[in-house]
Amino acid sequence: MARIKINHDKCTGCRHCEIACSLNHVQDTANPRRARIRIMRDGNRYYPVIAGPFVDAACTSKLFVEVDGHQYDMCGFCRASCPEKPYFIEAETGIPLKCDFCGIPPSPSCVRWCNSGALELVED
Amino acid sequence: MNGWIGRCLRVNLTEGKHSIEKIEPDLVERFLGGRGLGVKIFMDEVAPQTDPLAPDNKLIFISGPLVGTGAITGASCNVITKSSLTGALACAKMRGHFGAELKFAGFDMVIIEGKAEGPVILSIMDDRVKLVPALEYWGRSTVDTEQLFKDNLNDQWISRETFMATIGPAGERLLPLANVVNDRFLSVGGAGVGAVMGSKNLKAIAVKGQHSLQVADGNRFVQVINTLINKLNSAPLTSQSMSQWGTAFLVGLCNQKGILPQDNFSKGTLSLKNIGTEALNSAFVLRSRSCFACPVGCIKKTDFKHSAYEGRGMVPTYLAIGSLGVNCGVNDLEVIGMANMLCAEMGLDPVATGGTLATAMELVAQKALTPEELKIDLRFGNGEAMLEAIRLMSTKGGHAKRLGQGGKALAESFERPEVFMGVKGMPLAPFDPRAIQGLGLHFATCNYGPHHLYGNTFIDELLNVHEKIDPWDIEAKPQLVKEYQDTTAVMDSLGLCSWPLMGLKFKNYVPMVNSCLGTSYKAEDLLELGERIWNMERLFNMEAGFDETHDVLPDRFMKEPVTEGPAEGQVSRLQEMRPEYYRLRGWSDKGEPLPATLSALGLEK
Ligand code: SF4
Ligand code: SF4
Repeated sequence: MARIKINHDKCTGCRHCEIACSLNHVQDTANPRRARIRIMRDGNRYYPVIAGPFVDAACTSKLFVEVDGHQYDMCGFCRASCPEKPYFIEAETGIPLKCDFCGIPPSPSCVRWCNSGALELVED
Repeated sequence: MNGWIGRCLRVNLTEGKHSIEKIEPDLVERFLGGRGLGVKIFMDEVAPQTDPLAPDNKLIFISGPLVGTGAITGASCNVITKSSLTGALACAKMRGHFGAELKFAGFDMVIIEGKAEGPVILSIMDDRVKLVPALEYWGRSTVDTEQLFKDNLNDQWISRETFMATIGPAGERLLPLANVVNDRFLSVGGAGVGAVMGSKNLKAIAVKGQHSLQVADGNRFVQVINTLINKLNSAPLTSQSMSQWGTAFLVGLCNQKGILPQDNFSKGTLSLKNIGTEALNSAFVLRSRSCFACPVGCIKKTDFKHSAYEGRGMVPTYLAIGSLGVNCGVNDLEVIGMANMLCAEMGLDPVATGGTLATAMELVAQKALTPEELKIDLRFGNGEAMLEAIRLMSTKGGHAKRLGQGGKALAESFERPEVFMGVKGMPLAPFDPRAIQGLGLHFATCNYGPHHLYGNTFIDELLNVHEKIDPWDIEAKPQLVKEYQDTTAVMDSLGLCSWPLMGLKFKNYVPMVNSCLGTSYKAEDLLELGERIWNMERLFNMEAGFDETHDVLPDRFMKEPVTEGPAEGQVSRLQEMRPEYYRLRGWSDKGEPLPATLSALGLEK
């Protein structure tokens, strides 16, 4: 099965992937808030997050993740389109978004425009 | 309009009111957008004689039509005003993410007028325009200001999506060296803009929103961008040098040709051991950072494994290494990096600041100014003193404040104006015009002062990307300079970064422009627009008091040949090139656009 491999260390935070996704799903439209991939940024670091399934309620548990000595709220990395967080609720329509592995094979649109190597298509 | 939001926000700070206007399509047709349209509107509204720091001066933040659409390197927001450093037009090119977010927030441009009573932050978030009192932010560094503003939003999602253009203490103190900074991305070429913002008591602008941008033909647009990305990846400079080291890779090349200036442009080459790319690799762990939608990623950060840089990470660029480093005799990369970071935090322009410090250092070397008098041991090569000077300059008064007034004012106050290496009051970007003649001609004639990013002729003169042109030769230069100046005017107006010209030809961009905007430009049409914009800017500067006597280089470059290194014996041959340049531009021998030129370009005096 093909998967998208994300390498946080390589991401430059350019957000070209967001626009690639938006242009591919909404006719002739560029808007990061209509993309199914979003870049979670924290200071100088960037973490691409790809939309997962819709959930109709927020988690009751709150988690922290530690990366290189920095503490993050797990919600920042979570892929769910959840009512608590606006990342994957489409602006304008309010519809929850989910990655559909779009684009012309061999690669989804975000992967094709990601030039840093942060997004990669791998077979396993 | 494709690519455009089509709305302009006008904020009057004196009255604390704002209004929303439409952007006129026929102005867009004539001036493209971005820098071109911004300058046009600025000229219509502000008299050339206006005092830059007076409330009548205006600030125009304007993103180009391609910004935010996903067009590669479509990231630039230009800030147009009358500079308090030069008294001429200023256009700070603000890269990063602010320009795109401004459009998502629902505006292509923001016009700031008047002066607020006390410090304010303009917040344009989710269609709510507000002036937030900013007393608690005043005095803070650009980075602290952003952090505090975001903390105050109290919502991790909103704060992550917010982008800000901020001035630091330097701008608040009206230092003519001040610039505006967004998210540690230093703007290029706009020294003085920060002071104008400070004079209006405007600490920052914050933007966030969810508007969509329309492109004319999405399918074609996506295809064109795929090809452009492939092209960039097959060009060695953009795919390797720029992505690996950022512009710092130029250090070695410039040094090899004797272009990298040392000790206030008084010496040529040096050993690269401490400042070359190898040294960069061992001093920092390099990671890339990009402006919006840029596949190149030339900005280097280094927030890992280095305690002093922890979380602040900025690796010095060519400009920093040249201006704040070698030209001040400093060749310790960590000190240079720190100086660059301080500039970003204090809101200083690194080129203007470096040039000013080099002027001061030469005054010290000539014993016109003593270290005791300055209370800082500012000598060529003293990195620690340089850092101290940058800190004091932007936060304290006294002698350090004198430095903050810029190199020209400083040299004149000691009656040694010849020590100041700059044009129109702005210090030269770190390229020795004796060793690279075309760039020298550009420095002398540029509307915005001697900055290479308004006409990067070194792409051909030094790097030989599109054409192999000898840097010392002068024959082809006037034409080359004109072409690059017009090209950059177009790219700034569209909102594109001009660095990728190291891998792409200008004509490669044309299909991207057309499929995005739904136009049918040819490369020549766009270049003609560029020429119109260049001439229009010239007209403003002429009325503001600039003429051919300002299109010159400091005497040192004309009279003192390079004493050592590969460019030994060279002087700038500006006097031979300038008449031909004027002729090609259709200007009189006094550098005034001829009536026939103006009418051909559809401009009037
Ligand atoms: S395109 Fe790649 S490098 Fe750019 S933000 Fe997306 S994942 Fe990061
Ligand atoms: S080339 Fe560098 S400056 Fe230009 S848009 Fe890309 S990252 Fe920004």
